[in-house]
Amino acid sequence: MKTIIEAKQIKKVYGAKGNVFSALEDIDLTVMEGEFVGIMGPSGAGKSTLLNILATIDEPTAGDIVVDGINLTKMNEEQLSAFRRDKLGFLFQDYNLLDTLTVKENIILPLALAKLNVKELERRADEVADKFGIRDILNKYPYQISGGQKQRTAASRAIISKPNLILADEPTGALDSKSATDLLESLKDLNEQDKATILMVTHDAYAASYCNRVLFIKDGKIFTELVKGKRSRKEFFNKVLDVLSALGGGANDVI
Amino acid sequence: MTLFSLARKNIKGNFNNYFVYFVTLVFSMVIYYTFTSLQYSEKIQESIELSDTMSFMFGVSSIILILFVAIFILYSNSFFTRKRKKEVGLYAILGLRKKTIAKMLFYENLIMGIIAIVIGIILGTLLSKLFAMILIKLMGSIAEVDFGISILAITQTVIVFMVIILFTSVQGYRLIYRFTLIELFYDEKKGEQIPKVSLISAVIGVILLVVSYWLILKPFPDEFTTEYLMKNYGIAFVALVIGTHLFFRSVTVYLLRLSQKNKSRYYRGTRIIETSRLLFRIRGNARTFTVIALLSSATICFLGATYSGYYSNEKRAEEVVPFSYSHLSKGPEFDSQVERIIKADHRHPIKAQLDIPVIQVKGILSFQLDYDINPVQLISESTFNKAANALNKDETVLLSRNQAAVIQPRFTEYTKSVFKGENITIQLPQGSSELPFVHMVESNVLPFDYPDFFLVVSNEMFAEIAKKEAPLTYKVYEVENEVTAQATSKKVNKLVGNDFQVSSSFYTEYKQGKEGNAITLFIFGFLGLVFLAASGSIIYFKQLTEANEAKGQYEILRKIGVNKKDIRKSIKRQSLFVFGLPLTVGILHSCVALYFTSNFISNLIGINLIFPILMAIVFFVIIYAVYYVLTVNTYNRIVNK
Repeated sequence: MKTIIEAKQIKKVYGAKGNVFSALEDIDLTVMEGEFVGIMGPSGAGKSTLLNILATIDEPTAGDIVVDGINLTKMNEEQLSAFRRDKLGFLFQDYNLLDTLTVKENIILPLALAKLNVKELERRADEVADKFGIRDILNKYPYQISGGQKQRTAASRAIISKPNLILADEPTGALDSKSATDLLESLKDLNEQDKATILMVTHDAYAASYCNRVLFIKDGKIFTELVKGKRSRKEFFNKVLDVLSALGGGANDVI
Repeated sequence: MTLFSLARKNIKGNFNNYFVYFVTLVFSMVIYYTFTSLQYSEKIQESIELSDTMSFMFGVSSIILILFVAIFILYSNSFFTRKRKKEVGLYAILGLRKKTIAKMLFYENLIMGIIAIVIGIILGTLLSKLFAMILIKLMGSIAEVDFGISILAITQTVIVFMVIILFTSVQGYRLIYRFTLIELFYDEKKGEQIPKVSLISAVIGVILLVVSYWLILKPFPDEFTTEYLMKNYGIAFVALVIGTHLFFRSVTVYLLRLSQKNKSRYYRGTRIIETSRLLFRIRGNARTFTVIALLSSATICFLGATYSGYYSNEKRAEEVVPFSYSHLSKGPEFDSQVERIIKADHRHPIKAQLDIPVIQVKGILSFQLDYDINPVQLISESTFNKAANALNKDETVLLSRNQAAVIQPRFTEYTKSVFKGENITIQLPQGSSELPFVHMVESNVLPFDYPDFFLVVSNEMFAEIAKKEAPLTYKVYEVENEVTAQATSKKVNKLVGNDFQVSSSFYTEYKQGKEGNAITLFIFGFLGLVFLAASGSIIYFKQLTEANEAKGQYEILRKIGVNKKDIRKSIKRQSLFVFGLPLTVGILHSCVALYFTSNFISNLIGINLIFPILMAIVFFVIIYAVYYVLTVNTYNRIVNK
């Protein structure tokens, strides 16, 4: 199986001399193709920093990251943009949809930017819209649809360019439980049927229970790792809760 | 801590937020103060000896300026408060009493206003010196400009602006009472909605524009009455304003929608983003676009028309008063007195000195001409040729005994073909004689005096008629460097009196025209600059506000993989549309309007005005381009760091 992410000794330090805050300390992370990995930890543990660094939105202070055989630390701004466009798909808590575009235009945006031809573009838009059940709202604008629909739109956009890696930052954070479950089921299907590799940051144990593997971070370091293995989702969920209570702080978030 | 010092700290702390508003205030004051101090400047009043209309023109312009400046400040004030609603809401949540907040906003605005007045007057003093020099240079006087501080101008500026600032301060005071807390917080979330295409209003918009253009461009009727003028151009103006607004509101939406239909173009690169952004903002921008298009067309018209007048002044003066000095001979003693004055001026030596004998007779044309030709003024062939030669005109007339040549009456547009094959019957005491027209020439020899119908006849004919009808003799002089012959012209004018409807010396006519034109050029130029700066700034500020609102959207784009270069390109294209559209419409409008005015003007003076009008447009576009570059750079800095 192919390695998608290979991160070694990632460090991230904020601030100048005298007043330094270390957000990440020597994190090693390997994600294989087709994995659905969760990252958990209390607020301020460095989850989002890690995701942003992997997403090339932020730069590490030290360390090497190789995604799909490409070393991120050696690329310039333009190459990084192209990399994000072609290899990565994003899913954020606040959806990050463009208000001025319709649902459909939002979804196809990565392909339009890559200047794909229109026929192929329309075909793929229909395909992902069917997958997430948002065909009816394709011509609506973001201000006209619900949060769950927005997140499914964002998810459609994230996968339309067939990225090697989908990065999700608290995707269920702003959703009601029904919409959250729908989205997580869709991500699971995507992972199981399309063999999509997903890395998801969350502090919701329920969301984490959909992953194959969950990494726990505390104070910028990896605290422990849980692998689902043959367990049922329910069992895995309880396991996650156990770790969180051991971790402290994070358990408060689980209600 | 007193409330006053809280307000002061507020300004100091967020100076960046206040900056835009503050700059607007200072800018308005500088403009206004500069203008009033010029108005009150003694030197300027003095150096205009001949123009009575000046104080009137300055007065009217100053009222326009007050209106303009007030609207401009109120506009940017409402802009500024809208951005601060959240901050005000926060104070309320933190537990400050409404009254306290209201007072704080009041003081804040007052402090800013007062500082702006001080800075405005200091900058204005420097600028008014510069403008005074420009004006005097334009008028061609060699007066020194004093660098004085005008108390009157300061008082007037302070009064006008204190009124405006007090008004905006009261508005600020009322802000907290006008809105509920929740409204203060959620104001920015309201968001625009995608506009619907209204084919009907798009069509009406186009029709109105076409109609107004047609009304403006249609040729003058034979009967040219004030009523016609008011009706025709009044309707045209209203149609133009409404049509322009509908154009921006509907036609652009329609066109943008249409461009979205072409999927393979629309779904390619960042075009999808720009088009949809523009579409979204069009409702909010339509009114601004309309105002800017109309302002810029008015500015271009002002600049074009007045610059044309200024540009063509010398030619016009030369046509109206061909020789440097001309007068009717009133006996040898009088004539030599004039000659002595002119000869005494060693700085302007005489190049040519002629006698022009003219016989006035009655004549009847063989055709209908809507010009009163009587009395017809006859001059001889040789006199005309000598005069034309002295004036450096390469027109000569060769006539056989019975032939005649007509000199094109000034301020008319008759062509050669009007006179071709026709003749004139001159009534003389010994009977009438019929003279066929063989020529039309355009060189005038004497100052304008209505009716301006000169006929050149052969030397023999002239001599023959002169035996019966004694000619009047005009004495004319052409001197070197006539455009500076101020002192002598004054003396000659005084001595000669009113021989003609216009002045008898070239310099006076030239100077009068130049001063009149210089003042209108200056006033309209000044107003034009103000409008220009204002319209540029309005777009600039609007775009910057938009940039701040769109920050998040551009961040999303960066996240999904648009590189900085492409974002910059996209900003450029979008700004080009925002600047280009109202400018293009404005230029189009002004071309139509200038076509009308230049037709009107060149009818009067017969000079091609394409060059000065083109210059005005080029000047305007250049200034606009500067704003465009500024906007793109700042926009880019905000969203694309």
